Amino acid sequence: MRILIVEDEAELARQLQENLRGAGFVVDAAADGEEGLYYGNEYDYDAAVIDLGLPKLGGIELIRRLREGDRRFPILILTARDHWQDKVEGLEAGADDYLTKPFRLEELQARLNALVRRAAGYASPVIASGPLALDTARKELRLNQEAVELTAYEYRVLEYLMLNPGRVVSKTELTDHLYEQDFERDSNVIEVFVGRLRKKLDPFNPIRTVRGQGYRFTAEGGV
Amino acid sequence: MKSGIQSRLLLTTTLVLGFSLTLAGLVLERSFRMSTLSGAEEQLRLVIYSLMGAVETAGAAVQVPEPLPEPRLGQAESGLYAWISDSRNRVRWRSPSAVTGDVAAPDAQPLQPGEFRFIEASAGGDGLLHLAYAVIWEDPQATVLTFHVAADWMPFRAAIVSFRRNLFVGLGAVTLLLVLAQVVAVRWALRPLRTMAQEVREMEEGRRRALSTAYPSELRGLAQNLDRFVAHEERSRSRYRKAMEDLAHSLKTPLAVIRNALDRVPAEPRTLLEEQLDRMQSTVTHQLSRASVTGPVIVGRPIDVAAQVQRLLRALQIAYRQRCIEVEVNLPEPCHVRGDERDLMEILGNLLENAFKYTASRVRVSGEIDGRLFVRVEDDGPGIPEAVRQAVLRRGTRADEAQPGQGIGLAVVAELVGLYHGRLRIAQSDLGGACLELELPLTSVGALS
Repeated sequence: MRILIVEDEAELARQLQENLRGAGFVVDAAADGEEGLYYGNEYDYDAAVIDLGLPKLGGIELIRRLREGDRRFPILILTARDHWQDKVEGLEAGADDYLTKPFRLEELQARLNALVRRAAGYASPVIASGPLALDTARKELRLNQEAVELTAYEYRVLEYLMLNPGRVVSKTELTDHLYEQDFERDSNVIEVFVGRLRKKLDPFNPIRTVRGQGYRFTAEGGV
Repeated sequence: MKSGIQSRLLLTTTLVLGFSLTLAGLVLERSFRMSTLSGAEEQLRLVIYSLMGAVETAGAAVQVPEPLPEPRLGQAESGLYAWISDSRNRVRWRSPSAVTGDVAAPDAQPLQPGEFRFIEASAGGDGLLHLAYAVIWEDPQATVLTFHVAADWMPFRAAIVSFRRNLFVGLGAVTLLLVLAQVVAVRWALRPLRTMAQEVREMEEGRRRALSTAYPSELRGLAQNLDRFVAHEERSRSRYRKAMEDLAHSLKTPLAVIRNALDRVPAEPRTLLEEQLDRMQSTVTHQLSRASVTGPVIVGRPIDVAAQVQRLLRALQIAYRQRCIEVEVNLPEPCHVRGDERDLMEILGNLLENAFKYTASRVRVSGEIDGRLFVRVEDDGPGIPEAVRQAVLRRGTRADEAQPGQGIGLAVVAELVGLYHGRLRIAQSDLGGACLELELPLTSVGALS
């Protein structure tokens, strides 16, 4: 999952970045509204965390412009002022949820997970597909009720594919959502992860290769 | 309740006018009466003089030969009578007009020669004005003759009465006219004050930003000061709010940073630090949300509560989208209260969020206007047990007791509602959860009402 953080307090931004990376998110951080707008328009994110009190371009205006530019990823607003006026304006501008400072990082993670899931159309933290059940809160996978051990990257690939079922996801898109931007991009690595995942899920095979285009997750998972 | 300037002015002028015109009336009436009397006395004196010129004495006989010097003396009951008596008070001659009548001197006291005596009718009791004059007649016996003339009082009294009536009718009309003129003058003079009151009312209702400038010089200073005061109030309110926001930002962000950094601290001091941090955090949150409330405003426009509820509900439905909460709204329209828009939004926002937070699936917002505005926010959540209801609303006094996320909003709401002279009550909803009932005064919550 690729997350955009727009927060002007350097220390808080650093902590958020560190924490979310630790939780398996790919994180980009912008220190002001203009930078946030640039990132938001340039890259495809799964969610954004935007502070309302931003220099250069205010948080609400940033959200408005992102939405006007047809950026549809879910947005969580952070506010220190805890005024309903701010929350309502933020939600009206196009945000999806709010969190008042100070907050617990676990709370932020939970909200982000919920937003990403919600955007994909899942209400519960557990995404079920055939015999597969992916618990996005605990980052656990069960196949026919039995736990399957996954590495962090295997989990991320599977989660992204399961959140975009039936759609062809290119290797580049997967790389974008799985790695930091300065990471060396090698699509072969993706192939390795997909190969290992298939082995672990065998005989169930929900990940189909679409030649020359990428992968598609299907619920049938026929052999 | 103090009487108005207008009624004070009118009362004073009416009293003064009434008193002075009554006094003038009495003086005028009295002098008219006196001049009527002395005129009558003068007439009678002339009759006596003409009688004295005409009278003839022959021995004991006293005669006034025809024609009488005053024709009315010859007609019976003409209203003018004369007789002549001697020193022993015997009537020696009687005018034909007095023959049938029973006219006599009201007072038998003999007069000294050369003395006039005038007796008003009121004293005589017979409705006559009476003038007597005694002379020593130039005959050999040097008889003392007393000439009596009497005139009917009625015509004089009629004149006086009619004068008095005219006088009081005239004076009454003058009084009425002056009072009316005074009313007009007072209303005209006080019109700028009424205009000012009207404009202040419009400012309270938010339909006007400042007073107009067309005031007479006596009020211009006051109007300018009022404008300056209102502008100052608005400025300091927004400055205060800005300061509070800056304070919130500069306290809460470091708090968030510290909290996050605690994750790397070993468990032994961490628990203690977290505990203390929790206390700090809830105090800061609570006190700042209390402090950012500005309370009733002098200049505020009417705020449509129903519209604000709808706006908040739309926002909350976005944030709580995945919960699929069913919302039912039944508010009277229009329902306006006057106050600070942000304060009202805090009250309603916290109440509605509370319901969204604890509901299982349904939230109901209903209300009515009954002298005041009543808004009920109900949910089908666990509700608030009766035993803790008061504590939930009072928690503001000891902020460190507040559990984050639970009830802290309600204590602030209760305080805010109190500031607006309203009330917040917690009850049981028939949906199964809590029912929070908000009661707010409808119109003016401002200080200038």
